[in-house]
Amino acid sequence: MKKLVALLMAMLMVLGCVPALAEVDTSEHVVITYLVTGDIPANRTDEVLAKINEKLTEKVNAELAVHWIEWTDWTTKYNLALATQSGEIDLIGTATDWLNAWPNIQKGAFLPLSEEMLQTYAPQTWANVPAENWELCSYNGEIYLIPEDEYAQWTNHGFLYRGDWAKEAGLENGVHSWADLAVYFQYIKDNKEGVIPWDANGNGSSYAPQMAGGWQTSHTPNVYIEGIGVDLFYGESKDAPYTLSNYYIEGDELVNFATEMKKWADAGYWRTDVLNYTGDVVAEMEEGLTGAHQHHTQTWTGQRTSLEKKQPGADVGFFWFGEEMGNVVGLNITHGAMAVAMTSPNPERALMVYDLLRNDPEIYRLMQYGIEGEMYSLDENGYIVRPEGFNDSTDGVSLNWWWGRRDELELRSADRDWEAIDALYAKYEEVKINYPYGRVVFDLSNIQMYLDNLSNVYNTYMPRIVFGMVDDPAAFVAEFRQQLKAAGIDICMQEIQNQINAAYGL
Amino acid sequence: MAKSKPVVNDQLSYKKPSFWQLLVQNKTLILMCTPAIIFFFVFSYMPMPGAYIAFTNFQYNKGIFNSPFIGLQNFKFLFMSGQLTLLLKNTVLYNIAFILIGNLLQLMFAILLNEVASKWFKKTTQSMMFLPYFISDVLVSLLVYNLLNYDYGFISNLVRNMGSEMAKVYQMPNAWPIIIVLVNLWKGTGYGTVVYFAAITGMDTSMMEAAQIDGANGFQRIRYITLPTLKPTVVILFLFAVGGILKGNFGLFYNLVGNNSMLFKTTDIIETYVYRSMMNSFNFAQSSAVGLFQSVVGFFIVIGANAFAKKLDPDYALF
Amino acid sequence: MSNTNNQAPVILNQPKKIKLDMSDRIIRGFTYVLVTLFSIACIIPFWMVIASSFSSEEAIRRTGFTLWPSDFSLFSYELLFRSPDQMIGAYVVTIGLAVVGTLIGLFVISMTGYALQRKDFPFRNHIMFYIYFTSLFSAGLVPFYLLIKQTLNLADTYWAILLPLLMSPWLIVLMKNFVKAIPHEITESGKIDGAGDFRIFWNLILPSMKPALATIGLFLALAYWNEWYYSSLFLSSKVPYRPLQYHLYNVINKVASLKNSIAGSKVVVEDLPGETLKMATATIATGPIILLYPFVQKYFVAGLTVGSVKG
Repeated sequence: MKKLVALLMAMLMVLGCVPALAEVDTSEHVVITYLVTGDIPANRTDEVLAKINEKLTEKVNAELAVHWIEWTDWTTKYNLALATQSGEIDLIGTATDWLNAWPNIQKGAFLPLSEEMLQTYAPQTWANVPAENWELCSYNGEIYLIPEDEYAQWTNHGFLYRGDWAKEAGLENGVHSWADLAVYFQYIKDNKEGVIPWDANGNGSSYAPQMAGGWQTSHTPNVYIEGIGVDLFYGESKDAPYTLSNYYIEGDELVNFATEMKKWADAGYWRTDVLNYTGDVVAEMEEGLTGAHQHHTQTWTGQRTSLEKKQPGADVGFFWFGEEMGNVVGLNITHGAMAVAMTSPNPERALMVYDLLRNDPEIYRLMQYGIEGEMYSLDENGYIVRPEGFNDSTDGVSLNWWWGRRDELELRSADRDWEAIDALYAKYEEVKINYPYGRVVFDLSNIQMYLDNLSNVYNTYMPRIVFGMVDDPAAFVAEFRQQLKAAGIDICMQEIQNQINAAYGL
Repeated sequence: MAKSKPVVNDQLSYKKPSFWQLLVQNKTLILMCTPAIIFFFVFSYMPMPGAYIAFTNFQYNKGIFNSPFIGLQNFKFLFMSGQLTLLLKNTVLYNIAFILIGNLLQLMFAILLNEVASKWFKKTTQSMMFLPYFISDVLVSLLVYNLLNYDYGFISNLVRNMGSEMAKVYQMPNAWPIIIVLVNLWKGTGYGTVVYFAAITGMDTSMMEAAQIDGANGFQRIRYITLPTLKPTVVILFLFAVGGILKGNFGLFYNLVGNNSMLFKTTDIIETYVYRSMMNSFNFAQSSAVGLFQSVVGFFIVIGANAFAKKLDPDYALF
Repeated sequence: MSNTNNQAPVILNQPKKIKLDMSDRIIRGFTYVLVTLFSIACIIPFWMVIASSFSSEEAIRRTGFTLWPSDFSLFSYELLFRSPDQMIGAYVVTIGLAVVGTLIGLFVISMTGYALQRKDFPFRNHIMFYIYFTSLFSAGLVPFYLLIKQTLNLADTYWAILLPLLMSPWLIVLMKNFVKAIPHEITESGKIDGAGDFRIFWNLILPSMKPALATIGLFLALAYWNEWYYSSLFLSSKVPYRPLQYHLYNVINKVASLKNSIAGSKVVVEDLPGETLKMATATIATGPIILLYPFVQKYFVAGLTVGSVKG
């Protein structure tokens, strides 16, 4: 009931009148510092920020300053900034998957946000985010995160491949399974002199979990559980998500994967010393030196356009992991989220600023695209067109706003192939399930040391499985499993199962 | 353990001055040490109590000293891994190889170059030997990869052109201790030689002259004059290195080996293991625990080594 | 210092050439061969780095390196100098830090080193242990970060770089060891002349320890020159110019992050070179030091071979 009233009130506020804000004392001008990962922009960001600040000053008598956590050693610096905050930051961009939001909440890095606070100081956001989403942002009954729940995006992984070569290989409809992929690679191997089918830079530590998980979602109905740190924990299926899968402890599928990858390695689909290769696959694809790149959907949407310029007719397609089974999970609404710093001196004003950044169309577009007419214009479809010779790294604006984008306010880039992109997105929408574990916040403190050792075992064995660098796949998988047992996978599975059960009342 | 008899000048030894008298007598020397004392107090001793973090479940909102104490919990994962023996062995053996072979080579180059008359030769070669020091580990690993990789490597191509079959070096764990030691020598020799050079340059030249007049030959001069002069430097370099015997050069190993676990048996050191374990769980307390463990072990080894050095000659000891 | 004095007539007077016996010849022959080989092993990769930095990314894609610039290209350097004021600022900041830090550091280190090697200084072992101990135990990242950021409030100032690098136990011990080689008689004679300890150090000892000062100075300067870690921790965007190595490091990282952007979906990926850029940064970072090194080197190669010394 209370919520309903609040909702109504909030809606009234959105509908034109801003009287509620009048109650808030904004007589003192404050600077709200926003902590974000990214490099200090060398483009026109400062100029645009000044414009944004004019508006913010006018509306809530505050201005925004950005505290950049540069990509160099960013995990250390980000966590240090959170751990040692003393009032110098107000808003913190975070995420439950790639920025460890839950552990940081458990460690006390963020301020709990009461419903009253959100209603009063971020009324538009409060109104737009449904109650069940607020619940997914809560820990021990208190809200800590503001979710990016009004923005559809797909960052599920898969393979970017060349449509033209796929056709030549006899795959008229393109690559849609791991089996197709093998055909495609073999065709390149046999027919394209000097081309490595997939010149993977296996040195990157993220390849192993992406590939292993890719095979798993393509061959089982398993559903990935995020926020545990080691990619060994999956739910059974979308119908039985709260039962943990035994994929990594028993069964043939992992052996099949290892066997198939060994076949691929022996066939020369990637270079012999793949595990130490650090080259640039995208550039190689642009130069026609390799035929595939393993990355996520968003990357594909951009590459489809940019590769066409370098390799006309390449018709870059995307085979997504899980395509065979239709096994895909929508992105968690906290893949991007905003939190208020524990020690923020002005949490109320920080929320007011956030509310405007997220919901004020004018400010939103300044922040995301820059100054209209100067830095971009809209074409007849309402798509965004950049001026001739526009270069984002010198002429654009970068505020790395990944914590509250809204489809309603986003502009589509005119140079992307929206027909193809929309077709893929429609397919995703058709089969996807929502992330089923949003309500469980794992407390890993009791099993952390087992998880750390599992992480070591995983990162020792999985890269070799993924790139087929084994003599006897079955024996190697058996050894891997035995090491997982020794490192305590059973204890961890039990604990995680218990916490899931507790969260969902099972 | 810091106790050692103050060495007092002969003139003073008949009376035993009090502590305050000593202070007053040596006030200038003490003052001369004061900037350094303050420096180390501020930058090293002041934060040191913070090492307590290794025994806590560090809570950001409570700070280090109010976070819950959890005893040795943070140390556990390292000991539970079952890998500790291998890690210790690799870390220590690599360090011993680096210290021994490295110093031997540096010493040799310094002495030999000292015997050469051509200034031009000395200058040029010294500059050249210094260059690798500036090449970052990332670039070094690229260089090594581009030399040795099986498909396109420079050496692989050479070998193939000669009609032989190239070994798959990146799948041969036993090749890597040699490669890593070589790379380390390559990088550090020029830098390290400078230390010995300075020591040789600073030595008493009258001895050399006397020896020459007495007709000592090259070997004899090195054996009886240069080497003894360098001995204290060698001992001190050695003592210093020993304190870090459990600490590995993460950048070097991680860049050269990466996640190629086929090589781990001979290349995994404590730092790379810790990195792999905690890649996705950010935990300041646990990394502090590992550092503390390495320090404590290093500390006891140094105390032993220093006592040993002192026995040889009190002058050699660090403290 | 007379031993740097190495004029031609002196050399001509040397009986050395006549006295060159078998062992000297063996040693020299051995030295020339060994040192030449090692130097070549050092220079070739470095040359490859430079040559590759002037090549196009495509030209070195498969082989990784080249012995001669193939498909000559300045693109990497253009990218590095895209914002020249940043680059110049980085150089100025780094040189400034290196000069100031080396001078202050050298002064304190040599003073401390001298005091600690005086056998008649009763507290020397205690102080030495006090200093040495810090090389064994460090507080770890978080406490140190808190010290700089909160206790000393140095974050976003160049002090956060200058101060922590001023000295290290290792350099003090090294210095102490070098000073030890200076005959104690110098100190004694100074005492007899009635000079105070500091005056002895400043007037008598310091001038006779040029090689040691050059060595420690070189190490200090290199530490400042190569510094990127503290910069990365303590210098945020509020500081207009960051030290050179950190600046370069960021350029490389920026390229990497643009290409593999984690969350960015609207990043325009331009033709950013990866490998050649790394080579170019190495070249740029090393160049000035190579120019500087011969000046420092003067003190190591000061012709201390027996013959060239005159009294």
